[in-house]
Amino acid sequence: MKLLEKAINWATRKSPWIIHYNSGSCNGCDIETIDALTPRFDLERIGIIQQGSPRHADILICTGAVTIQTRDRLKQIYDQMPEPKYVIAVGTCACSGGIFDGCYCVMGGVDSVIPVDVYVPGCAVRPEAIISAVQKLLDTIGESKKKRDSNAKSLADSMNNNNLTRGMKNNTENNAENNGQDGGDLCAS
Amino acid sequence: MVLKLVKILIFPGFSFLAIYGMFLEYLDRKIYARIQNRMGPPWYQPLADFLKLLGKEIIIPADSNKKMFKILPIVSLAAVASAFVYIPVFGNTSSAFFEGDLIIVLYLMTITTICMFLAGWYSRGVYATIGSVRTLTQMFAYEVPLFMALLAPALIAKTWSITGMTAFYEEHPRYILINIPALFVALISGQGKLERAPFDSPEAETEIVSGVFVEYSGRLLAFFKLSVDCELVLVASLISAIFLPIMTDIAVLDFVIYLLKTIGILIIFSLMRSIMARFRIDQVVKICWRYLTPIATVQIIINLLIRGLLTL
Repeated sequence: MKLLEKAINWATRKSPWIIHYNSGSCNGCDIETIDALTPRFDLERIGIIQQGSPRHADILICTGAVTIQTRDRLKQIYDQMPEPKYVIAVGTCACSGGIFDGCYCVMGGVDSVIPVDVYVPGCAVRPEAIISAVQKLLDTIGESKKKRDSNAKSLADSMNNNNLTRGMKNNTENNAENNGQDGGDLCAS
Repeated sequence: MVLKLVKILIFPGFSFLAIYGMFLEYLDRKIYARIQNRMGPPWYQPLADFLKLLGKEIIIPADSNKKMFKILPIVSLAAVASAFVYIPVFGNTSSAFFEGDLIIVLYLMTITTICMFLAGWYSRGVYATIGSVRTLTQMFAYEVPLFMALLAPALIAKTWSITGMTAFYEEHPRYILINIPALFVALISGQGKLERAPFDSPEAETEIVSGVFVEYSGRLLAFFKLSVDCELVLVASLISAIFLPIMTDIAVLDFVIYLLKTIGILIIFSLMRSIMARFRIDQVVKICWRYLTPIATVQIIINLLIRGLLTL
């Protein structure tokens, strides 16, 4: 029984079939997702095939902030996928709503409707980042829940230690100053 | 009795058929990838796909006919597996043969297509229904030229048994050359039978998602995929047994020749799939009835004349 489980876990890692859904993206991340499927990147090497039907897919690749229009459809597509199923939120808008967050017709990120396994930030996301996200997701399949939780915790700790947020704040301040200077130069010239 | 069971279930029966089907699928995808200047999948890819689908949840649509929905993949796989028993693989005789097994093989091949049609029809999806109608339309198109092409060599051999035909052509190898137009027709309509590009409008991914398999998931889809792979082996072996009966009397050598012949036919099928775009369903019907059927008819007339000359 254990051997069969191991074999199926191995097979799940080796044959992820993806389905791509645009839940209100500006098309930037969609172009990059399609780009990742071209012969240049050759995703069939790691067993990825794009499927049209949600019933055949294992991984839902979702791009863009979720709008009120697409909310029910996204939920429906997720429900149509057979277990075990995974969701990757591709792009900043899919992660958090991005620049569309707070808009009258936007629900927020993908995780406001369905559970998300991997977040890939970026505007637009590079194809390499999508491939890396799929590979990272596949590496966790078959791991015990405890191990996965401890991994997530160590990742969160390392992010806190690096003080990422403060660095970003400084950057934005610098940018603001730079922009001011640029503006000044522009006026002078 | 035990030997017969081993022959039917393990080698050269069902287990060999499944493994060889997966190998041919890998080879097909690899050739397809190399023509697109890609690396292609690793060798274990079809096996990984199959095992993964075995472990997935099975979703049965509420509107569908549940009993038929579950039973059709198994019937389809069983039909292919039982047709494969009549084809000579190891040595020049098949595991079982009788006068008329060629007809049985052709009808068992039709059962898989009928199963796909019913699978689409009973799953009640819109795409699945369109796919199943197209499957049936395409069946009426390719079936006549395919059957005529496969039955034409039997007219010269004066037997309806595949094993008998290989024995006849082994004795008279020059008669193989007469059947070359029929081989041409069989290769093209065989591609239609397998529903591969350019004849893949029944499961056109860009138009109707994946045709009749749209609602299938998990284990049921795995069995359907396996039966499609096995069908590929069946058609390739049938064409190689009927049109290319190159035989020695050593069984192992015959087996190696069989592998080479089927891989050669698969390469032709893969090249056809990768270099051609999809025909519309009406174009498929037109090609089959306007070009392939007349060629097959002329072949049958020529073979009847030669048969008459032989008996004089």
